[in-house]
Amino acid sequence: MPQVELKRVTMRYGKLRAVDEVDLTIADGEYVTILGPSGCGKTTLIRIIAGILEPTEGEVWIGGREMRGVPIEDRDVGYVFQNIALFPHLDVEDNVSYGPRVKDLPREEQVQVAKRYLELVKLLDKMEMFPSELCGGEQQKASLARALATGAKLLLLDEPLSALDARVRADLRYELRRIVKALGLTTVHVTHDQEEAMSVSDRIMVMRAGGVVETGTPEQLYTQPKDIFTANFVGETNLLEGWVRGRAEGKSLIELRDGSTVEVTECGHKEGDAVVISVRPEFVFPFTDGLPSRVQYVTYMGTYWRVVAQSRSEDRVEFDVPAAEGKLYHQGQEVYLTVNRKAAVVYPRPLEGIAEAVKLE
Amino acid sequence: MRWLEKATELISRRRFRKGWLAFIIFFFLVFVIIPTVFVLSYAFTNWGDIQSTVLNDPAEMQKIWTAIGNSFEIAGIVTLVDFLVGMPMAWMLVRKKFRGKEFLDTIIDMPLAVPTAALGFSAAIFWGITPADLTNPLGLNIIGSPFLLIILLHIVFSYPYMVRSLSAILEQIDETYETAGRTLGASKLTVARTITLPLFRAGLVTGIILCFARSLSETGGTVVALTTVGAQKLFYTAPTLIDEVKKNSITNPALIPELSFISIILIVLALALLAVMAIIVKRAHLPIRKIWPRPEKILSRGLAPKAKDFSSILFLSFIVLIPSFFIFTYVLTATPSQPMNWGMFGEALLYSFIVAGVVTVIDLALGVPLALYIARGRSKRLPETLDILVNVPLIVPTVALGYSLGLFWVGGQPVNGAVGIVLVMLAHIAFTYPLMVRSVTGAVEEVDPVYEETARTLGAKPVQAFRRVLYPVISSSILAGAIMAFTRSLGETGATRAVVEGANTAPNFIVNLVQAHDYYSAALACIVLIVISYAFMLALRYMVRKRRRD
Amino acid sequence: MPVIKLEGIGKRYGDIKAADGLDLEVRNGEYLCLLGPTGAGKTTALRIISGLTKPDKGKITFDGKVMNEEEPENRRAVMLSQTYALFPQLTVAKNILFGPDIQDVPDEVKKRTLAEMLDLVRLTHRPDAYPKELSGGMQQRTALARALASGADVLLLDEPLRAIDARLRISLRQELRSLAKSLGITTVHVTHDHDEALVMADRIAVIRGGKIIQVGSPAEVFDNPVSPFVANFVGQSNFFVGKVGAKREATEVRGENGRSVMAQPCSCREGENVVVAVKVGNTEISKEGEGFFEGRVERILFEGRNLHIDLDVGELGRFAAKVPSWRLGKLSKGDKVQIKWSAEKASVFPVPPGGLEEELRVE
Repeated sequence: MPQVELKRVTMRYGKLRAVDEVDLTIADGEYVTILGPSGCGKTTLIRIIAGILEPTEGEVWIGGREMRGVPIEDRDVGYVFQNIALFPHLDVEDNVSYGPRVKDLPREEQVQVAKRYLELVKLLDKMEMFPSELCGGEQQKASLARALATGAKLLLLDEPLSALDARVRADLRYELRRIVKALGLTTVHVTHDQEEAMSVSDRIMVMRAGGVVETGTPEQLYTQPKDIFTANFVGETNLLEGWVRGRAEGKSLIELRDGSTVEVTECGHKEGDAVVISVRPEFVFPFTDGLPSRVQYVTYMGTYWRVVAQSRSEDRVEFDVPAAEGKLYHQGQEVYLTVNRKAAVVYPRPLEGIAEAVKLE
Repeated sequence: MRWLEKATELISRRRFRKGWLAFIIFFFLVFVIIPTVFVLSYAFTNWGDIQSTVLNDPAEMQKIWTAIGNSFEIAGIVTLVDFLVGMPMAWMLVRKKFRGKEFLDTIIDMPLAVPTAALGFSAAIFWGITPADLTNPLGLNIIGSPFLLIILLHIVFSYPYMVRSLSAILEQIDETYETAGRTLGASKLTVARTITLPLFRAGLVTGIILCFARSLSETGGTVVALTTVGAQKLFYTAPTLIDEVKKNSITNPALIPELSFISIILIVLALALLAVMAIIVKRAHLPIRKIWPRPEKILSRGLAPKAKDFSSILFLSFIVLIPSFFIFTYVLTATPSQPMNWGMFGEALLYSFIVAGVVTVIDLALGVPLALYIARGRSKRLPETLDILVNVPLIVPTVALGYSLGLFWVGGQPVNGAVGIVLVMLAHIAFTYPLMVRSVTGAVEEVDPVYEETARTLGAKPVQAFRRVLYPVISSSILAGAIMAFTRSLGETGATRAVVEGANTAPNFIVNLVQAHDYYSAALACIVLIVISYAFMLALRYMVRKRRRD
Repeated sequence: MPVIKLEGIGKRYGDIKAADGLDLEVRNGEYLCLLGPTGAGKTTALRIISGLTKPDKGKITFDGKVMNEEEPENRRAVMLSQTYALFPQLTVAKNILFGPDIQDVPDEVKKRTLAEMLDLVRLTHRPDAYPKELSGGMQQRTALARALASGADVLLLDEPLRAIDARLRISLRQELRSLAKSLGITTVHVTHDHDEALVMADRIAVIRGGKIIQVGSPAEVFDNPVSPFVANFVGQSNFFVGKVGAKREATEVRGENGRSVMAQPCSCREGENVVVAVKVGNTEISKEGEGFFEGRVERILFEGRNLHIDLDVGELGRFAAKVPSWRLGKLSKGDKVQIKWSAEKASVFPVPPGGLEEELRVE
């Protein structure tokens, strides 16, 4: 039952806290992604789980056992590296059967196990080739097979797709989840790519500067993020500055900098509070009436057009229009924008300012 | 700065660059390679002489083969021991973090600072059974066999070579492979055995070759050690035999064919053996697929690794360091038999310094460009060939090199004075030039060419790109190469004596003192030489460390 | 700002043809994206333009002047590599002023240039920092400032956003493009990411196997691909194989088992074997109504803005569709849906000689 539990895990390098009191519980068979920008501590955290690093403080529990002092090779964890790390002097089959070989299984069984997992990742025909003869996607698949062949029930993926082309990434993403779920493994996946995180995970933990921002399902984080950083990091969003002006029948009225008002679902803030409205581009619509804005430029996105406008309230607002209508919008044009009331989320105005609060680097 | 612009413009033109390159390669071939192997041609021109004087003299042939056999056996054993003991040390230095690591790092290079003639004396009075007037109460004096004594001596100065080579390779192997192995369930020992060691193989060849060749070459220390224990007529290595024959050939020119013969055999065997070794190491299959999980895990944890590390340090101290510096105790306990001729020693020091200085400057001026050409010309035939050729003077035993070079330039005639010093310089250039080239080539290869390329697209001419972008990064390696060349030249005995018998270098001075049984003066001279060389070594470490920290 | 022309460029590395009859024209002041998979020869093309690599055959001209023999330092075409290659021992300021330093520009001009550049890339507060102290985005901006300060006419970017975090890429794309456009510099930007190319390029040149397969505006390359490979590489597509049936305002293509779909008008003949390609984003699915054929929902992947739906369509294999995520509650695994698309969104191609799978292979 490889359940993973992290209790107040901290990693300090001198004064720097690379990981700051992180708590996390992962249920058996769950696929959890740790998502965050570079330097947020996600790689440090996954290396702590694997035993590559020993935390300064805190406890790591895997399968009901505390892992302090337990060396890497005894933790029974499969690890896939960002830079793949296939052994260059061994062919694919020898790479994949390394785990069984280390356990001193009979040679025929070693080969059997290797073949089973290579078939799973659809690389059986490349068994005799060497890593240098494979392309990026194939190498990563072989690396996955190798980690799986140890029979470990916990799989750790350290930015497994970052080194691959966009196209290959998209294809491999779906494969990854399919295989892992078919085998019933618990998975911890680390990445900076929010689209990747959302498409493969049961749950996502968002990290920033060593600490946890929030945890939730992909849908929760996308539609109802609790923190303004998450709102901006997981998917794109428009951020409008304003103040609460009134409340009536399940709606709140927010006044923006130029006096325009936006209606949102009841947000729980008091009148006069300084707030920020977060609303995603797909929930902003040009209408006959609404927030006056001027189009800055229009970009073709293939199946839709992205229009970037500057509102009279000095907020940058982006919205999408279907491909057919795109040509209607041009630079300098005036539009009126309304917002889907239910899709907007309201946050208290961050003390350090919006730019600081959502900063990505 | 008009002329500087014009000069930059001129040397950036393609024709000039091609001409300069041609000159560099010409220098390399004519001043380094050809003189080194010239003696081989003697086999064709004077085969008759060789046949009559040497091949038909069974007693002499016996002596020759025994000497050569001794040399190769010693080199083989030394290399093997160095590998077995150097490997754990290299691992400690590269993969582990502990207090005092920098200190350990510095001490390992210490024997390199000691000129081998001095080392020979120091090791002999520590290990060997010496005549009564030499016996030091602190020495172990347990080794009676000259064979064993020389082995112990050679280990002292080849150990740093091996450790450094192994460390360099280990640093280049990505630690991620080892981590990956461990996540797959392998203990540290299993990972080292099945993953690191096979990846090692390519670079291992270089380490073995350098170590082997260094032992094969060594003359000064061996001569001194054998003389000190009184075995110089009983036991010969190929270099000491050549040394003796060369000395005798000044009065008896009929010995020249024999001299050439020994040199030729030595060179041919060395090159052949090393080629074979290279092939074996590259192809050899480590057939042990089997893994014993439990015993290997036990050996990877707790007491076993600590014992391994401890014994590595013990070995370093007793077999390498203490013998190196034992000479200091001698000076403190013994009494001088004659007053030290400081005047002559001063002259010898000056001579050595001038030679080393000029040699280093030439190595810099003409070696760095060749290194750049080789490093940036990978995958083209000429640079690859030059890369292989550069190693030849390192493999050829320096005493044979010296003789061959003497044969090339002055037909083996004894020379003196100005011509003598020039010859000595040419000989020293031959075996220090590769050191410089290898050091710089290694450094340049580690620098991504993208930096210079970016500089060129920003408008920099090649020489500007070198000066502003590449040079700052490799300057410490250039310095390291220079200091290596300098100290190597300072400490060399064999080649010097082979090309100009009476050359007044400091090591030669020491050897002469020992052969005249004036041990106390020899020891004093050794100490002065050690202190000076060591000061240079420290400077090198400091510079390189400073650069690495930046 | 020169017009760059590559004509018949060929370059081999051993057995590998990095460039194989490559023809490309880059217009004055345009932002051109060279889009293709790894190994297609994008970096080689860039290096040939910069002069760092010499082509085996063909010619390269700037404004009509043949540049084959011209050294890199004389081309005024500055290269920005994937790793940025900031000189590690120089500060940000010294890195930026590298070009002017080489050219021996007077000090007052250098000072002015530095201030302008720092302002342009928003690094005014960090002129004395060293590259290793900077974040990825800041390093990239420094490298950009260095390239622009050298007074180059041509900017060559080799996957400039590859090393940047996914979320940050989205904001940096706009910045990079507006910077280049505001200075009017001709830019060639190499990438494997079609989203990036669509957003940033004036024109996209799709490269594969050392050849340019298609050049056009983002809309052209997206909506009117010239081959199934382009159709699938610039945005994933669904494919339907069949024979051409009736041809009127739309082309009818008949597959096996009586299924037929509609596609845009084409120059194909009746009865010809063709492949229909329609973008995943233009594939419509619904539980009610009539479609070309039926499929079963196999997997629903939440991507934030959209859902990626994998459909099992029996012998036709797998189809995919993207729908807005507010439909999440309305679709579940196992649902049967009707699949259709507007005819003008579907392209028609002759069946590729090596087979469809080979044609679509990216690596």
